[in-house]
Amino acid sequence: MEREQLLDLYRDMWLIRAFEQGLEAEFEQGNVPGMLHTGLGQEATQAALANNLKASDAFFPDHRCHGLNALAQQRHKGDGERIMAELFAKSTGVCGGKGGSLHSADPSVGNFGDNAVEGSYLVTVLGVALAAKMRGESRVACAVLGDGTVGRGEFHESLNMAAIWDLPVFYACVNNGYAIATPVGEGHASADIVDLARGYGFPCEQVDGNDIVASHDAVAKAIGHIRAGKGPYFLEFKTWRWQGIFAGEFRPEAEVKYWREDHDPILMTDELLIDRGVDADELAAIEQQQHALIAEWIAFAKESPPPDLVKATADVYAQWEVGGR
Amino acid sequence: MNDTQLDANPAPSDARPKKPRKTSFTKALNDALDLGMDRFDEMFLIGEDIAEMGGDFGVTRKLWAKYGAERVRDTPLSEAAIIGTCVGAAMVGMRPVAEIMFADFLGECYDQIVNNAAKVRYMFDGQFSAPLVIRTACGGGFGGGPHHSQSVEGWFLNVPGIVIVAPSNPADAKGLLLASIESDDPVLFLEHKALYRARSDVPDGYYTTPLGKAAVARTGTDLTVVATMRMVPMALTAAEELEAEGVSVEVIDLRTIRPYDAETLLESVAKTGRAVVANEAPKIGGLGAELSARIHEECFSELSAPVGRVDGLDAPIPFSVPLEHEVLPDETDIATAIRATMEASR
Ligand SMILES: Cc1ncc(C[n+]2csc(CCOP(=O)(O)OP(=O)(O)O)c2C)c(N)n1
Ligand SMILES: [Mg+2]
Repeated sequence: MEREQLLDLYRDMWLIRAFEQGLEAEFEQGNVPGMLHTGLGQEATQAALANNLKASDAFFPDHRCHGLNALAQQRHKGDGERIMAELFAKSTGVCGGKGGSLHSADPSVGNFGDNAVEGSYLVTVLGVALAAKMRGESRVACAVLGDGTVGRGEFHESLNMAAIWDLPVFYACVNNGYAIATPVGEGHASADIVDLARGYGFPCEQVDGNDIVASHDAVAKAIGHIRAGKGPYFLEFKTWRWQGIFAGEFRPEAEVKYWREDHDPILMTDELLIDRGVDADELAAIEQQQHALIAEWIAFAKESPPPDLVKATADVYAQWEVGGR
Repeated sequence: MNDTQLDANPAPSDARPKKPRKTSFTKALNDALDLGMDRFDEMFLIGEDIAEMGGDFGVTRKLWAKYGAERVRDTPLSEAAIIGTCVGAAMVGMRPVAEIMFADFLGECYDQIVNNAAKVRYMFDGQFSAPLVIRTACGGGFGGGPHHSQSVEGWFLNVPGIVIVAPSNPADAKGLLLASIESDDPVLFLEHKALYRARSDVPDGYYTTPLGKAAVARTGTDLTVVATMRMVPMALTAAEELEAEGVSVEVIDLRTIRPYDAETLLESVAKTGRAVVANEAPKIGGLGAELSARIHEECFSELSAPVGRVDGLDAPIPFSVPLEHEVLPDETDIATAIRATMEASR
């Protein structure tokens, strides 16, 4: 991979990390309503996706995809701060504060929104793909799915239908080892999700989701396959999330150390870049720049007004108004 | 949009007039789908065995031959994927029409209907619509047993964002289905199985019957019966019987269950001062309860008797024909409720 491209991906990973760290700090101070699921630790997976999906594609992000959402917004429209504002439930958010962390969407950048009913869009993505196919468009329809959602019946309905209809669906499976506190190997017949997908007959690959170069190339290959009209593709990212469960850490100390210190996606990329002669100061500057940008986004979100109360009953129906209180 | 008149006296099946041969409910739906497919390039049909076979009830017959397998799509037994496909396609501007073979199977795709179809417009701040139609065969009376006979409108009544359409006769079925296809909101289109063979005059060509508008199926002055689907012809039969007893009954066919036409309903009750709500589903928590509550809330001073209720018993639908008859309400129950309401009047 070219040095410049790797630096771009590095910047994106730092944008995600800074976003989530900034958000987490605000959440702890009680400034962010609702629940918080962060993508900390999964930056390489999300940066790889963001760098390969076009605004004309369609992706369904999962609940840890603030970073992917912000990158899509920033790359295609230059307004990543609207993802932050959405998480603060503000009128300037991508959904005017009505969706929040679990339902941020903007189809003009390819973001079709998350489902807080985990994994439901595993079947919704089929329709976006089918429409693209019927219209002869080269759109890739991508579902970002956690390992936990593989337990849904919809997982199998979806893979089967995508296979029999040869649909342009990209299954980006984020296997971070756990669904809340249930280890992937206890919740499923295999700890390798590809094993459960292979029977449907389309390509199923695994990649180290913390290795940015490998992840980027694997995503590029998957999307190339789909754009060439060859049907669905399943890619499993092996990664790990920093966030444990609500009451703190529950995973073995050695495991935590491995993923946070020895196999952290940003630290791994630091090494790669330094090997290629990038100055440590330059890397530190990137980190600082992204934190500064996120500080601006947080300020924007905090200063933005909340939604007007008339929005409480807006857009229930296309053809009827719903009465207020 | 032109409204259509309800055929107030559908011919009983054993005494069908030879000429002119009226159109069946099934054929009216089939015509609507054909006209819709012809008019809207973005429309497609999807469901189990709807293509070459034409569906379990023959509603999609011949459309596969005419429009091809791309636009008339058979699926595996995957209800969640059928409706998920519809929602996703609708989010990018297609107009899918799904067939869920029996309404009892809506549980398999409930999440897609309630959490996605009904909410993508709202939760994403108007950035998406879900212009899809879910056609499904509902209702009892033919020995289908507990999993092929239910009236499911109550399962969806509490879900903002969904439109529930429930025709009672062929002419409305055609016009309402075309209006549902045109609708930018998701429509659950209920087809009562006992009505598939009902016949009436059906206008030729493309027309729509407005969503959200009830029809006065019969005018009267003493009492209003409000009904949907199969309860409408039953209410009309009961009204004839009561006419002979000197009671003039008005029958309101709601046609759209959500959002329902409160204006037409309440105007009628304000005029007659009495109401009976007829409903095939169990009594608790369904359409009958909603309508009865609404009438009491808004017409209390005009009412000369409490609203009468006709409902299914609070039980699943059993297989045995006499047991099923016991559970489901019929025209005799409606006539009885009308008499009781008349007698209870102040
Ligand atoms: C259908 C459904 N069931 C349960 C939940 C509650 N829930 C929220 S996150 C989660 C675990 C998801 O695990 P996974 O997909 O592996 O994602 P991760 O949080 O590990 O990234 C569960 C069970 C839900 N939101 N939706
Ligand atoms: Mg997980």
